[in-house]
Amino acid sequence: MSIEVTNVTKKYGDFYALDDVSVSLPTGQLTALLGPSGGGKSTLLRIIAGLDTADSGTVAIEGTNATRLPPQKRNVGFVFQHYAVFKHMTVAKNVAFGLEIRKTPKAEVRRRVDELLELVHLSQFADRLPSQLSGGQRQRMALARALAVEPTVLLLDEPFGALDAKVRKELREWLRRLHDEVHVTTVFVTHDQEEAMEVADEIVVINQGRVEQVGSPDELYDEPASDFVMGFLGEVTRLGPVRLRPHDVEVGVTPGRAGAIPGTITRLLRVGFEVRLQVELDRELGGGADPVSVVLSRSHARSLDLELGSKVWLTAAVGAVTVPAMVAV
Amino acid sequence: MATATLDAPEVTARPTPTRRAGPRTTLTAGSSLGLGVAVTWFSLLVLIPLTAIVVTSAERGWSGYVDTITNPQTMAAIRLTVGQSLLVTGINVVMGTLIAWVLVRDRFWGKAVLDVVIDIPFALPTIVAGLVLLGLYGQGSPLGLDWAYTERAVMLALAFVTLPFVVRTVQPVLGELDHDVEEAAASLGAKRLTIFRRIILPSLAPAIAAGAALSFARAIAEYGSLVLLSGNKPFSTEVVSVRVLSFIENGSTASAAAVASLMLAVALFVIVVLDIVQRRVSRRG
Amino acid sequence: MVEVSTPVKWLLRLLAIGYVFFLVAWPVSTIVREAFADGVGAFFDIFSDEQVVNALALTVQVAVQAVLINLVFGVGISLLLVRYEFPGKRLLSALVDLPMSVSPVVVGLSLLLVYNGRDGWFGTHLEEWGVQIIFSGTGMIMATCFVALPLVIREVVPVLAEIGDDQEQAARSLGANSRQTFWRITLPSIKWAVVYGVVLSLARSLGEFGAVKVVSGNVANQTQTATLVVEKQYQSFDQAGAYTVSFVLAFVSVLCIVVVSILRPKEHH
Repeated sequence: MSIEVTNVTKKYGDFYALDDVSVSLPTGQLTALLGPSGGGKSTLLRIIAGLDTADSGTVAIEGTNATRLPPQKRNVGFVFQHYAVFKHMTVAKNVAFGLEIRKTPKAEVRRRVDELLELVHLSQFADRLPSQLSGGQRQRMALARALAVEPTVLLLDEPFGALDAKVRKELREWLRRLHDEVHVTTVFVTHDQEEAMEVADEIVVINQGRVEQVGSPDELYDEPASDFVMGFLGEVTRLGPVRLRPHDVEVGVTPGRAGAIPGTITRLLRVGFEVRLQVELDRELGGGADPVSVVLSRSHARSLDLELGSKVWLTAAVGAVTVPAMVAV
Repeated sequence: MATATLDAPEVTARPTPTRRAGPRTTLTAGSSLGLGVAVTWFSLLVLIPLTAIVVTSAERGWSGYVDTITNPQTMAAIRLTVGQSLLVTGINVVMGTLIAWVLVRDRFWGKAVLDVVIDIPFALPTIVAGLVLLGLYGQGSPLGLDWAYTERAVMLALAFVTLPFVVRTVQPVLGELDHDVEEAAASLGAKRLTIFRRIILPSLAPAIAAGAALSFARAIAEYGSLVLLSGNKPFSTEVVSVRVLSFIENGSTASAAAVASLMLAVALFVIVVLDIVQRRVSRRG
Repeated sequence: MVEVSTPVKWLLRLLAIGYVFFLVAWPVSTIVREAFADGVGAFFDIFSDEQVVNALALTVQVAVQAVLINLVFGVGISLLLVRYEFPGKRLLSALVDLPMSVSPVVVGLSLLLVYNGRDGWFGTHLEEWGVQIIFSGTGMIMATCFVALPLVIREVVPVLAEIGDDQEQAARSLGANSRQTFWRITLPSIKWAVVYGVVLSLARSLGEFGAVKVVSGNVANQTQTATLVVEKQYQSFDQAGAYTVSFVLAFVSVLCIVVVSILRPKEHH
């Protein structure tokens, strides 16, 4: 295990940012800390890096107890949401910083910097100032800077949070490929479930200062341990006694199937290749106050001849992931 | 494979996350030492000496204190200083805001020079300020004025040294005002004067207040520029700082301290006003 | 932006320029005329006056030392106020502004009460150990430090707050210790703010009059600074001399202001 966090608690006044959190992060993997804002995931990352200290609990990195070590002795690479570029230094100087601090010979520094700028596709910008780079380029520079010191672990705090949607998607794929090349143990914080699902080998879901679930993207999606995890990883709707994904709701136009709940289509929206429905359930037959959301493919919707006001019968699809609906959330 | 231990798996309703930082410290060993050295130096240089003024002013008891302050010559100096300082602060509120407006919203050749000239009173030695004003407004004035050794001279000197305060506090705030709001008001049918009075002025008010407080404090405290210009005539053009200095020169430090303690009170008052204004502005975000 | 009408714009412009011209620009420009009234030769004659030369040399000595002290203290306290939390921080932050509004005469008096050798709180003890503060260079440096104290802090604090501590944290995570972080990251980021603070402090320190007058004893050739010489010359009807020394002082202070205004916009490139 590369990073071992044991019973870590961190309080701000009487607010628990982290409440007795224990988690082990394996060597060489790309792990996402996923959760809503203010849930404690960034605090956990900063405690691993030594930028914040835990009130209690321990952190071990590659078997060494790092709880009391200052950040500069932990050999971690940290990438900040707003890049934290050294504004007064050129791109090359930024990347060289950690090596110069370590008194690496000049020729060696130059070689490493060239190599890293090549890796992050910034070679032609070596002598520019960070202010002359775009947001995505700055973040790649920050990544090269963090990798320069050959860290044991690479920590990224919402690395793509400040970028626009398109660049974000590009960098996300690029990070995945980079990790496949470099293989350094990497942990990144995100509140974007899509980002986590797409990039990470392993996801740790954190909410209200606690770990909700740990697992691969598929495990989390298919076997959510709690209502929260299910809701956070994708859209959820309620159908009678259970909660499930809108695309797992089977729509019929005749009553036939057992347990089918009747209702009326009150909204119908075509978005790209899918059709989104809102179905108002007939009240006397166990329908809730909220309408049920349903997603189905366009061709499927057409074959059923669905229109606004159509009468439909809803069931949970075979093999659908469901959790019991809580009475009041 | 990653594992996690959940010590309390049930989701409990928690109070909404509020970050309340109590009186805690983030000082490290090194920074504590730095703070200690800094506070010691600051105490030796500023806090203890200023405390000495308060202590010394109390040496002769309440009646002694009151006697010094209510001495007719001292009262005349206080009246003159406070009166002229208020007058000059008023002038600064109007002219300072106006100049800041011109510097931010107007564009003309030589504006950069105007911008630099505003700062001259801040850097020019006060004794030199008095001397140059004497050249233009004293005996043999090219303007045909002879205000030397009159109340006008006091006002002139105070207006000179306090010029930058309102301008420099209002200017950045005015520069960052959101033009959209003014345009929104205009689109709703507001006239220019209404926009200024209802939209712009309220946003500038804290900055104007801060600038006015600073310029009042500076005016009350002024000494150097008045030495040559006002003539320091008792009951006529003698200001409080000159009065304090003559007490010092006569060796009556207790009387000097008594008057100085009043001036110190004004300075403290201004610091409190500034702190409140700054907090209000930063709370507005 | 809501434009004002043209006549109003011209009126405001005229009022602003007129006010500043009559109050500052014209009076200050008279000093050039007065200083060179008897020709350039006469102007330079003043530098053969031993008293003036000694006063100028003393002024520079006192100002430079005071600026150095305020530089170290100012940068240090700015870092503490912006980067750390500690009890009493708000109070300290308000108190460091106090010297801005305390009268120079009161500053002088306050130092006199504590450090004079006859009956000062600490002065009598210091006198026993052979340390004289009042009527000496030390007292003059202290008085100058006092009046110029907030200038560096007022420039540095907002810049430090604005740049945040992201860069410093990044440096720490890359292996830099606090000393390396300060010299390589923090100081280069606040460089210009420090330069402005120093230039403004220098202008203020060279021109200090009231506080120095009280603590120096004003002894010619020993504790008489340039501003004190101006007063003395003027009062002994040596107007030409007073204007000449004033010109030197005004030249340096205006130069400081111009240097700052030229440097300042570069920050926002």
